[in-house]
Amino acid sequence: MSVKVEVSHDGVPHNTVMMKNGILALFFLYIAIAAASVAGDGSWSYPAIACVSGGIAAVFTLRWGNSTIKKLCSYGIGTGVPSAGMLAFGSGVIAMLFATKVNPFLVPIAGLLVALIVGLILGWISNSVLNMKIPVMTRSIAELAAVGCLTLMGLTAVATGDIGYDQITTGLTDPYASYISAGIIAVAFILGAIALQHPFNACLGPGEKQDRTDLLAIECGFLSMIVMAVISFAFVSQIAAWISFVIALIGWFVTYRQFFALSKRDAAAWLDAKPFSDAEE
Amino acid sequence: MSAIAAKPGAAAGAFQPVASLIAIFFAIIFIGTAYWLLGSFGCLAVEALIGIIIGAALIAFGVHFVPVGGAPAAMGQSPGIATGVAMLATGAGLAGLFGGAWAAHIGLWVALAGGAIGGGLMMAITCLMVNISYVYGMGIPAASGKVEKDPITGDSQPEYKSQGTEGHGLPFISYVGGVFGGLLGGLGGTLIYIELLNFYNVILLPTSEGTNALAVGLAGIFAIGMFLVIAVLSAYNITGTIEGPHDPKFKRFPRAIVAAICASGICGLVALLVVAIF
Repeated sequence: MSVKVEVSHDGVPHNTVMMKNGILALFFLYIAIAAASVAGDGSWSYPAIACVSGGIAAVFTLRWGNSTIKKLCSYGIGTGVPSAGMLAFGSGVIAMLFATKVNPFLVPIAGLLVALIVGLILGWISNSVLNMKIPVMTRSIAELAAVGCLTLMGLTAVATGDIGYDQITTGLTDPYASYISAGIIAVAFILGAIALQHPFNACLGPGEKQDRTDLLAIECGFLSMIVMAVISFAFVSQIAAWISFVIALIGWFVTYRQFFALSKRDAAAWLDAKPFSDAEE
Repeated sequence: MSAIAAKPGAAAGAFQPVASLIAIFFAIIFIGTAYWLLGSFGCLAVEALIGIIIGAALIAFGVHFVPVGGAPAAMGQSPGIATGVAMLATGAGLAGLFGGAWAAHIGLWVALAGGAIGGGLMMAITCLMVNISYVYGMGIPAASGKVEKDPITGDSQPEYKSQGTEGHGLPFISYVGGVFGGLLGGLGGTLIYIELLNFYNVILLPTSEGTNALAVGLAGIFAIGMFLVIAVLSAYNITGTIEGPHDPKFKRFPRAIVAAICASGICGLVALLVVAIF
């Protein structure tokens, strides 16, 4: 039995993945910001565009982060893959909230820069002070901080339809029940961190294929988007929330089916277990 | 360099004097930057940042006490709790934060005690249940592979250690280390939270209830984020697993404290600037 391999191990170089997905993520974040800035009171079309593009930006960022985690964790850092995801979001959330304070059209760029600075310092600490001596460590942790920051921005846009400081600190009905003071950012934090660390953690091993891991990252991104879209009913108009919820659900279903097919392709053998009724005959 | 050549070698435990001095220098620069950028709130910011750095150092020190076993412990092949530092420290830290945050309005010392007890209690329950599942579920006794005798009780260890393993279960010293690590982690996490909360309350102006809801949300998420950063950096220092305070890897803790001081300096600076700049 021959195994059909469409993309060899690490088929697409990391730098290509990073540039492509990073630029696409920034592009969709800017669409979200532009849609949020022209949205008027009571309209649903522009908030819907903002929510959906935020989710798509989060998915593209997670693809980038997945590739970075793969590069970092192939060195055997000893603490497991999840720790890298937690570190990414721990530094990313600080950079993300700092960036929301600037002019709306500078938010993604400012977040990227602050996250890279914080990540570079953290990476330097782990490589030099903690003596990890892993060649890609400094760069990977800087990238991961940026990924954490941009993913949180995307998920924030899904939930609130905007990523400005004023929008995420005031609630729609109760001024105290906002995105931050109600603690919803903690949900986004964990959803993003799990979506970032899970794909490589689940697929690593000798039979790891880049396209399968990548597809799992997309699937996890849409799964996180579903939860954030449910939360968005509290912050954006009902129709916009329904649109982003349905799109997230469709995206998750399609990518899950594809991931299932790729898992079947890479499996050594596949046995479709029958119900008990067959055994009685 | 290949992945195998880059594995930490014999010198992995060595203290790095030059890099450590640079890291401390960076931390002082961050404190100075906080004073310079925050103008009239400068003194308050420096006080808050120093509190955050002390809290981070406590977390980094505490992580070294917690018996982290990782995957080998799940198979009963090495002592410790069968999960990674990121999960254990998050559990102890968040339990500590919840314990401390409710008492934030009563006073600093009550809140710190609440945080420490919350973290220590969480670790005590975890260690107890881990030992119950090891002893009664997997049928293995607790034995350390790193020392001949338990430093506290003096119990002999090698007779109970299975061949081909590094020990298994949680010996008494690991249990005590776990509880003490939880205490320090909860204390440090709560200290970070309280310092941030006090600073945000001054800038964002408290409401009639005494605390600003936004300040609570911001301080909470930043405390969680910083706690995770410090815990993961400390986990890198012990390369994932440690048995407790009797493990030779425990001697590496000065490095982790230096790393925590520098990392919390930059993270704390950005966190303070969020409300006070623009």
